[in-house]
Amino acid sequence: MTATLPETATDVVLRVRDLVVEITMPRREPIRPVRGVSFDVRSGRRLGIVGESGSGKSLTALSLMRLLPPRARIAAGHVLLRGSDLANVSEREMARVRGGQISTVYQDPMSSLNPLMTVGRQITEAIAAHEGVGRREARERAIQVLGDVGLPQPERRIDDHPHQFSGGMRQRVMIAMAICTSPDVLIADEPTTALDVTTQARIMEMLGRIVEERRMGVILITHDLGLASSFCDDIHVMYAGRIVESGTGGAVLSTPAHPYSEALLDSICGLDRDVERPIAAISGQPPLPHQLPPGCPFHPRCAYAQEVCTVEPPPAVTVREQVAECHFPVGSGMA
Amino acid sequence: MSTVVPTVPIESATRTDSVVRRLLRRPSGALSAAVVLLLVIATVGAPLFAPYAPTTLDFAHLFAPPSRDHLFGTDELGRDLLTRILYGGRTSITLGFAATALAMGLGILWGFTAALREGWFGEILMRAADTLMAIPAILLGLVLVAAFGTSTLSMVVILGIIFTPATARIARSSLLAELRSDYYLAAVSVGASGRRIVARELLPNALPVLVARASLVLAEVIFVEASLSFIGLGIQPPDTSWGTLLQQGYTNLYSSYTYALFPGFVILVAVLALNVLGDNLQKVLDPSQS
Amino acid sequence: MLRYVLRRLVTSFALLILGSMVVFLLMRVIPGDPTITKLGGSIKEVDKATLDGIRAELGLDKSIPAQYVDWVSGILHGDFGASYFSQFSVTSLVEQRYGATLLLAFMSMIIGILIAVPASVAGAIWPNRILGGLLSGFAAVGIAIPTFVIGIGLIIVLGVELEWLPTQGYVSFRADPIESVKSTLLPAITLGIGVAAATMRILRPSLFDVGSSSFVRTAKGKGLLRRQVVVRHELPNASIPAITAAGIIVAHLVGGAVIIEYVFARPGLGSLLVDSVYQRDYGVLQALVLLAVAVFIVTSLIVDVILGFIDPRLRTKAVT
Repeated sequence: MTATLPETATDVVLRVRDLVVEITMPRREPIRPVRGVSFDVRSGRRLGIVGESGSGKSLTALSLMRLLPPRARIAAGHVLLRGSDLANVSEREMARVRGGQISTVYQDPMSSLNPLMTVGRQITEAIAAHEGVGRREARERAIQVLGDVGLPQPERRIDDHPHQFSGGMRQRVMIAMAICTSPDVLIADEPTTALDVTTQARIMEMLGRIVEERRMGVILITHDLGLASSFCDDIHVMYAGRIVESGTGGAVLSTPAHPYSEALLDSICGLDRDVERPIAAISGQPPLPHQLPPGCPFHPRCAYAQEVCTVEPPPAVTVREQVAECHFPVGSGMA
Repeated sequence: MSTVVPTVPIESATRTDSVVRRLLRRPSGALSAAVVLLLVIATVGAPLFAPYAPTTLDFAHLFAPPSRDHLFGTDELGRDLLTRILYGGRTSITLGFAATALAMGLGILWGFTAALREGWFGEILMRAADTLMAIPAILLGLVLVAAFGTSTLSMVVILGIIFTPATARIARSSLLAELRSDYYLAAVSVGASGRRIVARELLPNALPVLVARASLVLAEVIFVEASLSFIGLGIQPPDTSWGTLLQQGYTNLYSSYTYALFPGFVILVAVLALNVLGDNLQKVLDPSQS
Repeated sequence: MLRYVLRRLVTSFALLILGSMVVFLLMRVIPGDPTITKLGGSIKEVDKATLDGIRAELGLDKSIPAQYVDWVSGILHGDFGASYFSQFSVTSLVEQRYGATLLLAFMSMIIGILIAVPASVAGAIWPNRILGGLLSGFAAVGIAIPTFVIGIGLIIVLGVELEWLPTQGYVSFRADPIESVKSTLLPAITLGIGVAAATMRILRPSLFDVGSSSFVRTAKGKGLLRRQVVVRHELPNASIPAITAAGIIVAHLVGGAVIIEYVFARPGLGSLLVDSVYQRDYGVLQALVLLAVAVFIVTSLIVDVILGFIDPRLRTKAVT
């Protein structure tokens, strides 16, 4: 499913088409937690992939860097970066891409940094892996980028070890490490889940500024709709391994086209909500990859499901400003 | 309505039959158990299984290499080496069992006491255990041999003493874990008192870990006994053990390689099998540890 | 860092004192009259006066605490007491023989580490079932096989059949360093295999655990090559449990050295210990056991200092 924005191919930095990830299971059929995902990442634009745990969003992010766990592999599809298909390149080539052209920021800053190495060394190591600069220049750049992410007194703290930083500061260090090589694409996989709300806001603000300054394409992976709404330009909603709705953030979040997106929005507790009204939780559970229902995977939990939904997989339909995979998109008058 | 409180048997993972079954399902577990069983039966039943009597001499074939008559060859007096190894194993293994039993018994007493009396008394007991564990086993063995001599009884006592502190530590931590477990707290809060009832539930859960440990202790005991006998400070002639056989093999090294190597190989197999068995038992009984 | 080291020094010293008391008491508890040993075993022909004379000579007429004080003050002056058996003082006996043992221990540790670390790292860089199985097998067999069996095997192969290395005796390092190392090589390889096996048993699982931790994923994500990730990130973190266990490994080494010195006929402290047991020479025995305990304590201290160097979390407090 493609994004609904006009295709100005010049500023697309990463193009994912029909990506399928397959995991081999012992004594069972292999499962496909990602079943044909497509999206474009444009420089300077922020893309959000939103979904519950089990939707396949994290595996999608891992497959872009080809850092899938041992039993998993890209079974089909293309990941096009600057003309080459990352799904097919050699491991050596991939090592050059990782950290150099695509970087990831992970969700657990407490354990994602080597406790025995200074923060500065971990950053200069990333620089040295991709650019042939001398030690002093690498160090200068490390200090610079630590300052960019809002770390106070970077020239002093560059020789400290991770355990001497708080959680929020560690995440800033992680971000510094990811952007120090000026990659084209930055993947942020639940970057603030482990942090408290105030720190979260500050980090996201800093991240937005940095991405703006450096014209990076960002993929934000999150289960937090609120976070996605405040940060992202475009949103893709993932369910059961497929993108079920995509469009600009404003469109998807104010007038959702897919029943799942609508249900997600309904289940958010806003402060201005009527206290008496019960929280609308979505009944049921997301399906496991090896137990997908026939037809539309969401139909068992969908308020608008009809007979055809249990039999035929839904087509991609353009509704207002977004695209949804549904037989009866919300507000389209087709129900 | 009657107020009978139904007693639900605690479904512990330590039922003997399920343990044995789980052990045998693992390939290394089954193999090591088979080897250990074979060794124990063959050596303890040496009079039944040995091809010759241990005193049969054959002056025509001194230091003979392995042949159909003598599977492991012969020694300097023409005695069949396989026979001597089986009889020697009988000594080593029965000694090993006795010493291990002693170490386990004393260790359990020591460790359980330290666990039940948590104050400074328990601390001192454990510090003493730690200090003794700081001395390498062979060294401690030598010191005790200097003190108590090398009679068979002394050897059992000495080997038992050497491994008591380590067993005590494990016994203590095992019992402490049970004392802190939810089911014990629940039992206490419901009013179940009386040391006996508590002991009936706690001990069966604290013991299996120790049983797994016993296999490893036995391996070490055989190792240390062989080492001490090898340098002449263990089992004394005319008794034979694997260690004394190795020593005789060593003195006759230039006459026959197999004389020294076969007992060595048998010790290796015994210790290795017991180690692997012990590791497997630990994994089967408590998959979170190991 | 300095404060950390100082704290450990003080603790070690206290442990040493405690250890010396334990050793001393242990010796006194042993049955058997040392004066009889001094006389060569039979007391029937000797009269009381000679007996008392010897008692006084050995300082056995004083109270136990007084004997302890005598002993300790003697040690502080470099005098380990008198041998009950020979005319030499314990100090001179130790002096004659510590070189052989020290060289053996040193070379064994080096050989052990030189085998264990590259093998474990290779197993982590190229995870291959056959290689992994071989390495684990080597480790399992290496700690199960008695050191003297390895020793005998090596003697047969390298010493007798191939005649590459000497199988007996010892040449002092000061006299001829090269011959000295050659004469120590066979026993050092023997013990080194045991050290390597024990180290690998800890290092390999540790590397495996560390390999699945988050910061390794980050390192891979930076575009580092597999070997860079293993050597720069996995190995330092994984070596912490192995270094912590070094104390136990050294303890095994000491025990093994005793046997090996006998097997290879080396005039070291190990064979001295064995002789002293044969001769019931408690003066020597006491000093050597104290030395062993001291070695253990010093090793623990060195281990802690090394860990302090490697792991900055031990030196500075964490921020929450």
